[in-house]
Amino acid sequence: MTALVTVDQVAKQFPLAGGNSYLALQGINLEVQRGEFISFIGHSGCGKSTLLNMIAGLDQPTQGQVWVGGRLVKQPGPDRMVVFQNYSLLPWLTVWENIALAVEEVLGHLPPVEQRQIIQHHINLVGLTAAKDKLPAHLSGGMRQRVAIARALAIRPEVLLLDEPFGALDALTRGNLQEQLMRICEEHQVTTVMVTHDVDEAVFLSDRIVMLTNGPGSQIGNILTVDIPRPRRRMEVVKHPSYYSLRSEIIYFLNQQKRIKKMRARSVTAVARHGLEKVNLELGFVPLTACAPLAVAQEKGLFAKHGLDEVHLVRESSWRGIVDGLVGGYLDAAQTPAGLPVWLTLGGHQDKPLPIVSSLTMTRNGNGITLAKKFYQQGIHTASQLRNYLQEQTEPHILGMVHPASMHNLLLRYWLAAAGIDPDRDVRLKTIPPAQMVADLKAGTIDGYCVGEPWNVRAALEGLGFTVATDQELWLDHPAKVLGVREDWGMRYPNTHIALVKALLEACHYCDQPQHREEIRHLLARPEYLGMDVRYIYLGEPGKLTCELNQPEYAHHRFYGEGLNRPSRTEHLWIMTQLARWGHVPFPRNWLEILERVCKVNVFTIAARELGLLGTTQTSRSPIRLFDGSEFTSNQDPIDYLNHLAIKRDFSVAEIVLDRPQAAG
Amino acid sequence: MVAQSQRLSPPPFQRWWQTYGPQVLPPLIGIAAFLALWQGVSSSGLTRLPAPSTLFTDEDTRTLLLNPFFDKGGLDKGLFWQTLASLTRVAKGYLAAAVVGISLGILVGVNRIINRALDPIFQFLRMIAPLAWVPITLIALPNVQMAATFVIFITSVWPILINTTVGVQQIPQDYKNVALVLQISPRKYFFKILLPAALPYIFTGLRIAIGLAWLAIIAAEIVMSGVVGIGFFIWDAYQQNYVSEVILAVIYIGAVGLILDRLVAWVQRLIVPEQ
Repeated sequence: MTALVTVDQVAKQFPLAGGNSYLALQGINLEVQRGEFISFIGHSGCGKSTLLNMIAGLDQPTQGQVWVGGRLVKQPGPDRMVVFQNYSLLPWLTVWENIALAVEEVLGHLPPVEQRQIIQHHINLVGLTAAKDKLPAHLSGGMRQRVAIARALAIRPEVLLLDEPFGALDALTRGNLQEQLMRICEEHQVTTVMVTHDVDEAVFLSDRIVMLTNGPGSQIGNILTVDIPRPRRRMEVVKHPSYYSLRSEIIYFLNQQKRIKKMRARSVTAVARHGLEKVNLELGFVPLTACAPLAVAQEKGLFAKHGLDEVHLVRESSWRGIVDGLVGGYLDAAQTPAGLPVWLTLGGHQDKPLPIVSSLTMTRNGNGITLAKKFYQQGIHTASQLRNYLQEQTEPHILGMVHPASMHNLLLRYWLAAAGIDPDRDVRLKTIPPAQMVADLKAGTIDGYCVGEPWNVRAALEGLGFTVATDQELWLDHPAKVLGVREDWGMRYPNTHIALVKALLEACHYCDQPQHREEIRHLLARPEYLGMDVRYIYLGEPGKLTCELNQPEYAHHRFYGEGLNRPSRTEHLWIMTQLARWGHVPFPRNWLEILERVCKVNVFTIAARELGLLGTTQTSRSPIRLFDGSEFTSNQDPIDYLNHLAIKRDFSVAEIVLDRPQAAG
Repeated sequence: MVAQSQRLSPPPFQRWWQTYGPQVLPPLIGIAAFLALWQGVSSSGLTRLPAPSTLFTDEDTRTLLLNPFFDKGGLDKGLFWQTLASLTRVAKGYLAAAVVGISLGILVGVNRIINRALDPIFQFLRMIAPLAWVPITLIALPNVQMAATFVIFITSVWPILINTTVGVQQIPQDYKNVALVLQISPRKYFFKILLPAALPYIFTGLRIAIGLAWLAIIAAEIVMSGVVGIGFFIWDAYQQNYVSEVILAVIYIGAVGLILDRLVAWVQRLIVPEQ
């Protein structure tokens, strides 16, 4: 099937006064099928209306071509009728006359009786029979837009182009009109392209949503397919499992665009003070119980104590936000999952290796695997029981995890594989932001998940699921969250880096003391951190190591201790093997070099010595012991280890070429 | 019952006064105060300007005031005839200005190149005072009547032309886009979109122009001696030192100007639909 509308390598440049020009759009490729409903979404000035105008023929692309119905678009025409944001009705003509003007002009070959029937039909279609002899000035905004839609539909265009059609209307009218428009489009199979800035409108109406990045030089950032079946009813749409993930995907995209714009606007200058190269830091975190050290360092003034006067904690709802922040350079540092530095360094993000260093392990434990309540009720209390259950099932089961590079992904996969469940073939793993796990579990769109606290406890307390495996059943004292900074950042601000590690290590020490637990729980419950009821937040009961399948289940965070905070090469090597095992990144032939680059032990050691916390600097020589009894030691051949694993993908071994370490210029 | 209801509702005049009194009273007081001041200044001998009361006390003026319709032939006519003669001239010149101004304005408004070509000429000619046209027209045109009409035309054409041009240029892009998308024929575009959209601007031009035309005729007639008209009447009265007649004529001029403006405003309301 050929596309009805084809946008081929289109770019648009506007001449500016003074001989310059503004590049509005570039490299736009898009195909719209017959009967499809497409939305363009993006921030103001991203060129979405320009793109629409180019399809309409009101604007001509500077480069590339637009084809509609097999014809090159050179000028506007009634086969591509536009509904403008401000209605564009002629104020001196009545509703009837406005529509008649279009019908007479475009369908003039039809007998007058038929023309009148068409006009009347479309006035009835939008429910304006009683108002047909009124002037636009006497109609409400919603009614005017209905006239404009009727006028557009009356001339039977091949493509209906809508430029923010409901932007100027109040919410109630907007909702009604959206439903009317959708009903008409569905009944008449109208191909529609709509420009909007309303996320819900886009999800509700569209088959596909085209998200445009910010100008200058806007491009298509992503195209989302809305898999909600038609006919759609608003109340059913909001209940559909895809609705919220689509919605959050768009909002994430728009927010990201906004931040990039902000970042471009204010080029952050480093404020040097107290012998530190930079004291104004943007520190990213995801609201989890594990963010306690950051919260404590901020609230207890530990950042300021070590000279970092202007630390700003940036709350991200997903790890993806942290990755984009580090890659984009608008986060100075972040609390990241333990696997993230290695993953980014090995090119996990868009196949571009970006050296990230880790100089502090902030938390251990605090993760768990939760399964939906129904499994508990069916007597599935272990991984092997789950395997037996899955073998009898035909429909796919979906488990959530938070990021490919997170320990949750790696531990969940390890746990499944150890029980003989292939994490890619026997179940499906889906990346979901932590805060959305419980909602998805409740909606039944996932069967379980592996995530950090408080989300396991919360599912248990809400009676939605149960913790089938805690840290104890996975890998006791596994690294969970580490401090991650870009290597070039660390080299440019070495003293700031040490000060940051000092502040956070001291905070970790504070968090680990049992007498502070209650205080920290209440601190984390505040809206700027987790923003939830304190009864879901536990810093852990390190003594209680057994997994009782009776709720509530407790988290076992460890923030500080001998050999716990020092970045461990062995652990990062194990992470490397697991990332390669599941095909996320190739295993680096130069793994020794990579480990040297990622683990900044010297920064940690300096920080710990200056704090006088010498106990933590000792290296733990003991091997990693996982729940299945296997051990992993630092002097093991990692490729040999990988080869001996039963369930794995076809992993590759490759030399990962990193740029020479250098400070950001 | 009837008597009762009559007693309850006030008599018609009182009702009218209650409604319109607040609007009518202040201007009446204002005019009265102005006249009183004038009367006072004139009686005090500070100026040679006669007091307003001379309109009635001076015998010749009283005749003119009370009988505007006499016609003794030649230039000796009542003020009605004088005014009518001036108005006829204005009508001719103004009509020509409207026709030329609107059509040329649309042309210039639609075509950017013509606009660029003609704009400097228009701005140049626009700045020439009506009186400055008089000698040129007297030389260029065969008789005084035509010259006077031409002066009216040349004075009143600019506001019409310029406003029409702006009116056409400011047609919202949305309307033009609608026309473009629907591929509306040029004839239909002109009558259904261009003209209605520019009409408010055209009328603004027409209203400014009627005032200017009336201003110009007086000036023109004063300079062009020997025509029947209110302008020449003033000049003649001044030459013969009938100052109170000048004042009477001035009142006529002001009143006619006011009526002309209201007339155009009324036509505008008839033609341009409220939006």
